[in-house]
Amino acid sequence: MRAYILKRLLYAIPTLLGISVIVFAVTHLSPGDPVRLYTFGALNITEQDIEDLRHHYGLDKSLPLQYVDWMSLAIRGDFGTSLQYHQPALGLLLERLPNTLQLAALALLLQLGIGVPFGMIAALNRGKPIDSVIRVFGVIGHAIPTFWIGLLLIVLLSVTLRVLPSGGMLTVGKDFWDIPDRARHILLPAFVLALAGIANYSRYLRTETLDVIGQDYIRTAYAKGLSERLVVYRHALRNALIPMVTALGPILAVVVSGALIIEQVFTWPGVGQLTYLAARNKDYPVIMAGVMVGSALLVISYLIRDIAYAVVDPRIKVK
Amino acid sequence: MKSLSWRAFTIIGALALLASACAPGAAPSGSAAPGATQAAADQPQPGGRVINGSFSDIQRLNPATSNDATSSAVSGRIYDSLIQIDPKTGEVKPWLGAWTVSSDGLTFSWTIDSKATWSDGTPITGKDFLARVKMQGRSKVTPNKSTYNDVEGYQDYASGKATDISGVKLDSADPKKFTVKFTRVFCPALTNVFGNAPMPDHVFGKYTVDSDPTKTVDEAPENNAPPVASGPFKFKEWRKGDQVILTRNDKYFKGAPLIEEWIQKVVADSTVLAAQLKTGEISTGLIQPSDFDNLKAEERIKIYEWPDNGYTYIGWRANNPNVAYLGDKKIRQALWYGIDIDAVVKSVLLGHGVKQLQHSSSVSWASAPADQLNPYKYDKAKAEDLIKSAGYTKGTDGFYAKDGKTLAVTIPTNQGNKTRETFLQVATEQYKQIGVKITPKVEAFEALVPKLTGGSPEIESVIIGWQLAADPDAFTIWHSSNVASPTKAGNNFVGYSNPEVDKLLDAGRNGPDCSQAARQKVYQQMNKILNDEAPYMFGFAVNRIFATDGRIQNVTTSPFYPNGDYGIEKWWIKGK
Repeated sequence: MRAYILKRLLYAIPTLLGISVIVFAVTHLSPGDPVRLYTFGALNITEQDIEDLRHHYGLDKSLPLQYVDWMSLAIRGDFGTSLQYHQPALGLLLERLPNTLQLAALALLLQLGIGVPFGMIAALNRGKPIDSVIRVFGVIGHAIPTFWIGLLLIVLLSVTLRVLPSGGMLTVGKDFWDIPDRARHILLPAFVLALAGIANYSRYLRTETLDVIGQDYIRTAYAKGLSERLVVYRHALRNALIPMVTALGPILAVVVSGALIIEQVFTWPGVGQLTYLAARNKDYPVIMAGVMVGSALLVISYLIRDIAYAVVDPRIKVK
Repeated sequence: MKSLSWRAFTIIGALALLASACAPGAAPSGSAAPGATQAAADQPQPGGRVINGSFSDIQRLNPATSNDATSSAVSGRIYDSLIQIDPKTGEVKPWLGAWTVSSDGLTFSWTIDSKATWSDGTPITGKDFLARVKMQGRSKVTPNKSTYNDVEGYQDYASGKATDISGVKLDSADPKKFTVKFTRVFCPALTNVFGNAPMPDHVFGKYTVDSDPTKTVDEAPENNAPPVASGPFKFKEWRKGDQVILTRNDKYFKGAPLIEEWIQKVVADSTVLAAQLKTGEISTGLIQPSDFDNLKAEERIKIYEWPDNGYTYIGWRANNPNVAYLGDKKIRQALWYGIDIDAVVKSVLLGHGVKQLQHSSSVSWASAPADQLNPYKYDKAKAEDLIKSAGYTKGTDGFYAKDGKTLAVTIPTNQGNKTRETFLQVATEQYKQIGVKITPKVEAFEALVPKLTGGSPEIESVIIGWQLAADPDAFTIWHSSNVASPTKAGNNFVGYSNPEVDKLLDAGRNGPDCSQAARQKVYQQMNKILNDEAPYMFGFAVNRIFATDGRIQNVTTSPFYPNGDYGIEKWWIKGK
């Protein structure tokens, strides 16, 4: 097992390297010049000042050289200094990572906590009204852009009914550890972030469950005289869940990348908001740090999936 | 184990939410309970909190190294400057310091207010002014390095050639006194040089080492958490991406402010801003004309509106061979007559703005009186006559052309600014009616700006805006030495070059007569020329609209304070 994990982590290196080359090229070649942007409107600035700034940030070198500079520092964990904040890019990111992980974790919990039962209920009540309701919900949850639902819910729950705050992590003036207040703030963004996943999992699990309950061993289980409850939970659900693990693999990364938009809508001060603003402001070091941390998360979540596979299904051996 | 307790946390949290959501009469968060005793509430009273909504977070709180408006607005509460702009006239008035000027106009002698101290009790002295100049000179990241270029000895210090700035002399007998000598007369010195707040030498002085130009203030932790303040508020906490919290400075030299805390909170956009004003999550914010009626209807919200010291315009590139016709004054004037700005003000700004006819804002003492300007009343026939007199004939496609070249212009503007995007649509439609073909283009601000300041050949024209300073100096925008080109960046995006205007700009900037009367004459003349030559279709000025919680008292608005924050130390909250 240890050798397997080590091997997988080694494979990750060329992947991350490739990502870094592509993203570095795309961000640096896309139109816009950070130095001109940051000095826009500055009175009395001279061309020499602009050249000095460009030199200071190493932007006067050729692109490949800039990449080599970046890489030689990045492998030592130094992702450079943010052009906007004049602080280490990685530090800025790590500072906000817990905020995004909170959001992502709750969203994941909601996805599974709502999506799995919905799928099961729909499958066990196939063709009945409840099945249709869940299926319609599944289509809607999938088809409507989440940021739009987010805005709608803000209008409904925050502005009209005034039961939930419309953004931020904490009411201004509340103590940092005010857990109920935090819960009120996280609920709406986490739910919106979870929506697509809930829809996805309920559809997925419905199909899988229908598949499984048609199997011979389920019939056998019933024939043995087992109770419905036992058949469903011990035999059907467990087997229906196996393929779900595949879908779970990239989930962490998907949720985190979904947070990019949701954090913007709900002004949630996480990694997504930071990276989004960095992209808009051409803050190269923060963009690179954001993408690399995101990619590392993706690689790790795939690894966790493969290990989880072995746990759920003993027939699969990790090699 | 960790994940388990995490789940427990979220479930408990969700339950707490249900409980609070079901509680009858749950008050909107962030607002104090209303309906308390109203009696005796008409006298100014201390306490309470003001939460201001902003679309972006601060980047850092050191004004010597930052350039973004949000950071400047917040650091401006923490660090007061030597001067203040009069809210009514826009003139410069003494504030933290008072000055006299030598007869040659080169030397300023300053005395800092005897009561002025930093919030930790340390007196504010000439050393603090010098600390600011030095840290800015040696910073490697500041966009404002050249601010003090005209101060004698500054450039040598900044480059590391000198270990002191010969032009700044501290009075050894009285630490509150100092003199600053310039190498040439610089009329905007009071705002552009002395308007920059002194920085605490006892906090930042150590980061700039006279003998070692590699040492800078750039990564000092105090840039993000200022330990002392000279302004009405001091720094308490910055919750990055969310809010920055300031508290009252009890040692403020003009007396402690009445409000206890001033907080800036990040909101996603103007829709959310309006929503949060309604719910009471924020208590002040600048709103869009489109939200005006909606918020006006709210009883507990008070709205202030005032003319802006700035404008939104269409700039015509005079030095781009692809659109050589824009170099012709007749064509530019036609493009002014050919657009109905009054209708734009009515339909796009919903009446919250005015047509702009010159560079200086009508609220500024530098503006030319309206009766001396061409009002460019909307007149399609006149516009077409002007185009014809420039030698153009209308083709079968309805567009004017000369020598086979159609009168066509691409107008870009920046994405996300609804006013500008709508203005662009209207312009495209109206110019089509006078036979001018417009290709509208909306692109990201970060992509557009470098093209403008870099004089990219792609730029034929642009819709964008200027927010002006209190001093009318327009050197960087209109002087021919600031024409933007690929080899030399400049704010003269349109390539405007007129020796007469250059002369006026030089006189307004470098005197020799820096009196307001002399400069007024100079800038009024400049404005008249610009109005006639029409390098811009000067467009319109959108009113600033500031919505506040109706309980906030003593709000004073002024065109020279675009954030509505003049005299914030006197604000108080009624019936908390």
